[in-house]
Amino acid sequence: MKHLMRKLALPLLVLAAGPALAHNPMCECEEVASGQVKCTGGFSDGSGAPGVTLDVIGYDEQVLVGGKLGDDSTLTFKRPDGEFYVLFDAGPGHVVEVDYADIGQP
Amino acid sequence: MSQAQTLPASPLKQWWLKWRFHLNILLILIPLGFMPKYFADAKLFRGDAGLGVNVISDIQVGPYSLDLAEMRDEAPRADGPAGHFKSFNASLCKACINDVKAVYLRIGKPRSLRAAGTIFFGAPYRMGTNLPIPPRTQPDAQIWITLEGWDGSMHQASVPLAKASPATVAWLEKQGGKK
Amino acid sequence: MAKSPKKSKSKLWFLVHSWLALPIWFFVLIVCFTGMLAVVSQEIVWLANPDVRASKPDGDAERLSYQQVLDALHKAEPDMAVESLRQPDGSHFALTADVTFPDGTSPTLYVNPYTGAIQGKSPDFNFEGFTRALHGWWLVPFTNGFSWGWYLVSILGLPMLASLVTGLVVYKKFWKGFFKPVRTGHGSRIFWGDLHRLAGVWSIWFIAVISITGTWFLIQAILFDNNISISSRPIVPVIAREDVPQTADGSQAPRIDVDEAARIAGLAIPGLEISSVSLPATAYSHVTLGGRGWYPLMFQSAAVNPYTRTVDSQFLISDRSALEFVTESMRPLHTGDFGGLPIKLIWFFFGLVLTLMVFSGLLIWTKRTAQATAAALKRSERAPRVASRETTVEIRP
Repeated sequence: MKHLMRKLALPLLVLAAGPALAHNPMCECEEVASGQVKCTGGFSDGSGAPGVTLDVIGYDEQVLVGGKLGDDSTLTFKRPDGEFYVLFDAGPGHVVEVDYADIGQP
Repeated sequence: MSQAQTLPASPLKQWWLKWRFHLNILLILIPLGFMPKYFADAKLFRGDAGLGVNVISDIQVGPYSLDLAEMRDEAPRADGPAGHFKSFNASLCKACINDVKAVYLRIGKPRSLRAAGTIFFGAPYRMGTNLPIPPRTQPDAQIWITLEGWDGSMHQASVPLAKASPATVAWLEKQGGKK
Repeated sequence: MAKSPKKSKSKLWFLVHSWLALPIWFFVLIVCFTGMLAVVSQEIVWLANPDVRASKPDGDAERLSYQQVLDALHKAEPDMAVESLRQPDGSHFALTADVTFPDGTSPTLYVNPYTGAIQGKSPDFNFEGFTRALHGWWLVPFTNGFSWGWYLVSILGLPMLASLVTGLVVYKKFWKGFFKPVRTGHGSRIFWGDLHRLAGVWSIWFIAVISITGTWFLIQAILFDNNISISSRPIVPVIAREDVPQTADGSQAPRIDVDEAARIAGLAIPGLEISSVSLPATAYSHVTLGGRGWYPLMFQSAAVNPYTRTVDSQFLISDRSALEFVTESMRPLHTGDFGGLPIKLIWFFFGLVLTLMVFSGLLIWTKRTAQATAAALKRSERAPRVASRETTVEIRP
């Protein structure tokens, strides 16, 4: 990931052959009380992702819940019935998909 | 520390007195040992070592074609809570460059352009990306390449993950589907 | 064996001082030596490689703008993709351009800032990178997170700081030592001892800076490897798909050129000196312009949307939190690259002094030990019992 390393090199200038994984988007979803799902988005360097789009989309590509992560980088919504996936969308190529099957039952 | 006593007290101290400066030799051996890898990596990042490993050339994606290669012949690297990632490089055919807006990579067929996976960064002759490897990926999974046009068009093609990165498949089989 | 409490405590400090570096003495020496080289590695390359120099074609030549340089590069090499343009610290350096050729090779080119001519390609052996890698992470590669070599080197910051503190405790009334002459003619142990102490007092500030900033690198790695971020830097990875126009005929959507981006950034951020330009890495990426501001230790940056002509994000000196002000000052204070050549020369000089201090420390130790052992052997020849009186160190008050 020469490009990402070079982008880091601008302000940091210390990582010449630095970590290849600079910041990758991430999104974790878990079931919380009363059939709700809480998703937390961010980047792997520890940064949050406030205001980033988080959509809950059915397998038929209908957007079931359209939202944005709050200032705390989370979004809580009622778990839809049926098959769906959560899409953390920070822009083209900066997405994370979380399938409903990976969102555990409490 | 002065050594007025001619006989050191304990065996541990004796051992330490004998071997402590060998610790320095050991420390010096470290960069000497890593020097070949350092220069090999420098060569790889300069683009002088080809596109990468396990190069798959001329993958037809609609009217276009590109080459794909994994950066290193190794298992995916962990990036904390974000999961495991593999670095891939790609090279678009020269005639395609003006037409292709973006190139994406994903394990499994994308549901939509929006969820086409991770985008390739850099010059079209040598662009790179980090592909997330979901923990429950099957060894017979396909890597899907999506090309997006400036007019919003989309072209896709797939290659077997086993061909693009045998090391990843080996890692997946060892994982046995566990996280 | 009765010793006064003061004397034995002093002894303890002294033991700690010498043992902080001795077991890994050669390692510490090379780290200091390579650091010293790394500070001026760019300058060394400048001396050795004329391609790296910003030679003026004639006295009145004006520097080209970034877009003019890009145009010249495109004219010379139409198929070459340019990823970034950078002006190193010092107008005597040529511009560097990170480029990729159709064959996939991605060298750094040296470009004349007055003519836009390509003066040369970076050699396969990158001296600056090598000294930095050897010094900073002992050449151990980065795999998952920070290299363990980084940890190995940065942890030396702690014993170095302790060495400074114990050294000052042991050197009684060290403040009187600034102008104490070095005694020659009394044997090499006295000579090296005096030199070590003289160099030490003059280097107090430098050793403090290097050891504290070195320790910061350790903290930085720990934070990163535990995915903890203290950065308030906004993350704007890419432009949204709907904000990039689609074209009916499939041709590329027009983007503003670099000079226009610089102008827009300059309107939004007065006083932004641009020393680097990163061209969009994807169709959805920004033009990123960066440079120093009023605080020379930090870089500021602005990301300009080449389609909408807006500054989508910026990270200025005023945007940093108080903590970031401190942490982001650490690296430049360590490397001395915040004030051009004069500062680099100061860092280089004191780096040399520090290297000599590590060297002289060992010489003193070996000689004192050799002398003490010889003295002890002499005593044991004279008297049957083993002499348990340890020779005290000769610290001049």
